[in-house]
Amino acid sequence: MAVPAARRTTAARRWHLSEHKIAALVLVTPALLIIVGLRIVPLVLGAQYSLTGDGDRNGLFVGLANYRTLLDDPVFRTALRNVGLLFLALPVAVAVPGLLATFLFLKVPGHRFYRSVYFFPVVLSPVIIGAIFNILLSFDGPLNQLLGKAGIAPVDWLGNSHIAILSVIGVHVWATFGMALVIFMAGFSTLDQSLLDAARCDGATLPQTVWHVVIPELSRTIQFVFVTTMIGMLTGMFGLVYVMTAGGPGGATYLPEFYIWVTQGQMNSPALASAASMVLFVLMLLVGLAQIRLIKRATKEV
Amino acid sequence: MRRSGFGRWVVAIPMCLLALATIYPMVFTLNVAMKSRREYVLDRFSLADHLTAANIADAWNSSGLGRYTFNSVLVTAGSVALLLLLGSMAGYAFSQLTFRGRRWLFLVCLGALMIPFQVIMVPFFRVLGQIHLLDTHVGLILAYTGQFLPFTIFLMTSFYSRIPAEIVEAARVDGSTTLGVYRRIMLPLGRPALLSVGILNALFCWNDVLISLLVMQSEQHRTLMVGVTALRGQYSDNIPLFAGGVLVAALPVIAIYLFFQRQITDGVTAGSTKG
Amino acid sequence: MPTASGSTTRGIRGSRRGWFAAALVPALALVSAACGAAASQTQSGSGASAGGGKLVVWDWHSGDATTKEYYAKAKADFEAKHPGVQVEFVAQPYDQYYTLLGTAIQAGKGPDISMFNGGAQMRDRATSLLPLDDKVGDLKDRLVGWDAFRKDNATYAVPVTLQGFPFYYNKAVYRKAGLDPEKPPKTLAELQTACAAIKKSGNACFNLGNKEGLGIEFFLSGFGPGVFGQAQYDAWLAGKRDWKSPEVKQIFDLWKKTNDEGWYNKGVNSTAMFMDQFTMFSGGKGGNVIGLISDTAHWKSFDEFLGPDLGVYKPPVSNPGQVTSTFLPAEGGIGYGVMKWTKDPALAVDLVKSLASTDAEKSFFEKAGAIAADKTVDTKSVDVKAAGEIVSWLPDSKPLLHTALSAKTLDLMHRLSQQLISGDVTVDQVLTQLAASDK
Repeated sequence: MAVPAARRTTAARRWHLSEHKIAALVLVTPALLIIVGLRIVPLVLGAQYSLTGDGDRNGLFVGLANYRTLLDDPVFRTALRNVGLLFLALPVAVAVPGLLATFLFLKVPGHRFYRSVYFFPVVLSPVIIGAIFNILLSFDGPLNQLLGKAGIAPVDWLGNSHIAILSVIGVHVWATFGMALVIFMAGFSTLDQSLLDAARCDGATLPQTVWHVVIPELSRTIQFVFVTTMIGMLTGMFGLVYVMTAGGPGGATYLPEFYIWVTQGQMNSPALASAASMVLFVLMLLVGLAQIRLIKRATKEV
Repeated sequence: MRRSGFGRWVVAIPMCLLALATIYPMVFTLNVAMKSRREYVLDRFSLADHLTAANIADAWNSSGLGRYTFNSVLVTAGSVALLLLLGSMAGYAFSQLTFRGRRWLFLVCLGALMIPFQVIMVPFFRVLGQIHLLDTHVGLILAYTGQFLPFTIFLMTSFYSRIPAEIVEAARVDGSTTLGVYRRIMLPLGRPALLSVGILNALFCWNDVLISLLVMQSEQHRTLMVGVTALRGQYSDNIPLFAGGVLVAALPVIAIYLFFQRQITDGVTAGSTKG
Repeated sequence: MPTASGSTTRGIRGSRRGWFAAALVPALALVSAACGAAASQTQSGSGASAGGGKLVVWDWHSGDATTKEYYAKAKADFEAKHPGVQVEFVAQPYDQYYTLLGTAIQAGKGPDISMFNGGAQMRDRATSLLPLDDKVGDLKDRLVGWDAFRKDNATYAVPVTLQGFPFYYNKAVYRKAGLDPEKPPKTLAELQTACAAIKKSGNACFNLGNKEGLGIEFFLSGFGPGVFGQAQYDAWLAGKRDWKSPEVKQIFDLWKKTNDEGWYNKGVNSTAMFMDQFTMFSGGKGGNVIGLISDTAHWKSFDEFLGPDLGVYKPPVSNPGQVTSTFLPAEGGIGYGVMKWTKDPALAVDLVKSLASTDAEKSFFEKAGAIAADKTVDTKSVDVKAAGEIVSWLPDSKPLLHTALSAKTLDLMHRLSQQLISGDVTVDQVLTQLAASDK
């Protein structure tokens, strides 16, 4: 399979390859320049910065002191623990849009309507969503009023240190499931209709169809949604945390991104923030590498 | 599978509730925007008494949202165009071409996908200043391109890797160059993916607050979402005005989605080369 | 599907190094360029104020409708003196203000003049500001509130407004609870009696929002004058803070006790201060609130909704053994500082002077309700009783307790105050942690 094409030595092939090479260079270089210049270079600078001090020691090399400070900071530890919670929520955040897409694909009554409205939250920016849910989830807000009518005691959705992080994650899922839904539906559109028809003829139930036909056929889409949802959770919840809980109560809803922002701005400790940034990046990379195995298969096995 | 009455309800009730849950916050916002400030202060949750469009009009007029909208449209359009061009080029190369270091370079792109913006905020700002692009539309377009290009490349690569090699080979036999294949085959075949990726990117750019705040330092270069966010400063308690701004900012996006949604989903079916 | 494309998509192992190196060259070039920037991070000229004839000012007020007149007057005053110099006010969202400014400072590119809150936020950034002592001598007598903008005996910003924490109350709520609306509580004991009555009548005694942790700042600085003796108060401001003293413990005990006794609206930790707490008070849903005298949540914004029912009182005497009478805790509120990198410092200082001119400050007071730092502003024109009382208390006022703390200690105090309310820590644990942080 992997016989290197470059070793073939007819003249035509050689010409073809060099044209090929130049074309590849032309195609890839602009994108790489931007990525390297605006992503990788700042990252390297940040890494360098994380080894320097803040305040009076601005610009001085301090070795790993910032990283030690992070380890000792209970707030940062909470932030990392909350990342763990995000991973636990990941399957839910993938399964919900997956199921919904299945139903829409099977054309449940009103599927056109659902398809339209489910995407609504995606168009709102997190800051705006946070501001709206702030009011909806307030102690005397509509949700608690609704619960009250059902005879359930009010819940302090954003003020209880055990519940608040779950509320924020829940709102994030609400805000983003439309995106995953669209990706799933794009995947469904490549699904072989005849397989479904066959399943239908065999009298398969819905769960059976999902399990034996949909999931195997869409494995690549599912992997993809997993990766993008995870990245969204790790990099896209800042706005929500900022507006909905401001990291509180008692620091219970800190996430690494929010920690970086606060350390950088309010605390005026950019070097410490850089160190936290590096920890977050390494964390993302580790998770990413685990996923890259999947992605690689997705892009190569074809 | 959707014939039994029971099964239908099991599906329909949650879907209906979820639809309510997605619409309700928008309706709630609309209701708040229709209230006067006094009415809001006296009771946050009541239905608007005398419907007034004054907040929406005020949000539009008093805060220069018109100019901000122009900036947003310009920057979003520029970024999306650049993202789609560069993303499809790189995606084609990574999925269909053989060249040395392909895998490594692709990994660099994937790695860049894992960098949250907060991580590189300060050095990023410095780099952009160094190339004198702070507070320019081009600077913001480049910033967005840098931010969302890894994602775009990733999507385009996985889409293009599904295009059967026979099509490419056939074009080669007909005498197309590698770049010719890009123009004649990859761009047209990639249309559905480009459309969905383009819409996603447009949303990201349109909704961004943080990058825009950092790059665009002067008032006249502000983007719409920054302008709306500024309506809700910590020192401003005029929530109805903010709600009006939210609607002004969200309505065009919702309209565009409703207009394009058939193409997003149906287009994928039509253009799909799976077979 | 797995067809011929398999062989084209496979990378060629073993010989990728050349290509990788080729891609690295531009990358390294960029790195070195940017590293150059990192090394020369200061004094690299201001980005936003590209032209010589232009001054850029960052603030979080110039977008408000109520401050339009203030900015117009300041601008006109400056342009009359310096025709041809452009002035641009950039209103930043307050939420992001200090992060944006911090990023600008680290990159050495930003505004010529910046608005600051007095206290920690300004002091932490003093190294990026121009000392103004030799340039603003003519303002020293006309303006008050300088202390909040001083660090190590140097002045870094010119005060424009004063900030303070009076207790506002709603006379209608007092009346409903059977209390005398013209006799606000003078001591903690009276306040406790009032609170019991208000609670009985179905209202919250105090409105409180501690979502961002700001509630404790207001509580500490608000009740402080009634708890601390004079010597202890001054020592605290001077940096000699004894967190284990009975008086500090008394304040934090009171914070916890008042919450446990149900003084506040429900869901304190999920109630945002500026968005919700003051909206509740304006909406008549609470008897008392510790508010501000400038910016927002002040006499003018409450007057709009409560009218003649708005009353104001000084901190209650909570520690009769040591304190006989209290004062309004107040100090410099917001001010303007000149950034180090500005091209023409004299020009920038002139603009700051225009921003602090009597005429401009007068409209800041009348239209936006800010208590001006300018002593000579005539306050008679405003017909709100609470405003007159606040102004009359100013001469005896002393700086706020919480602004003497560092940003780090304040942040810790925010979090611990929330944990006190949810019952996750004890007062003693809180004070031990705060003492360790405030070294």
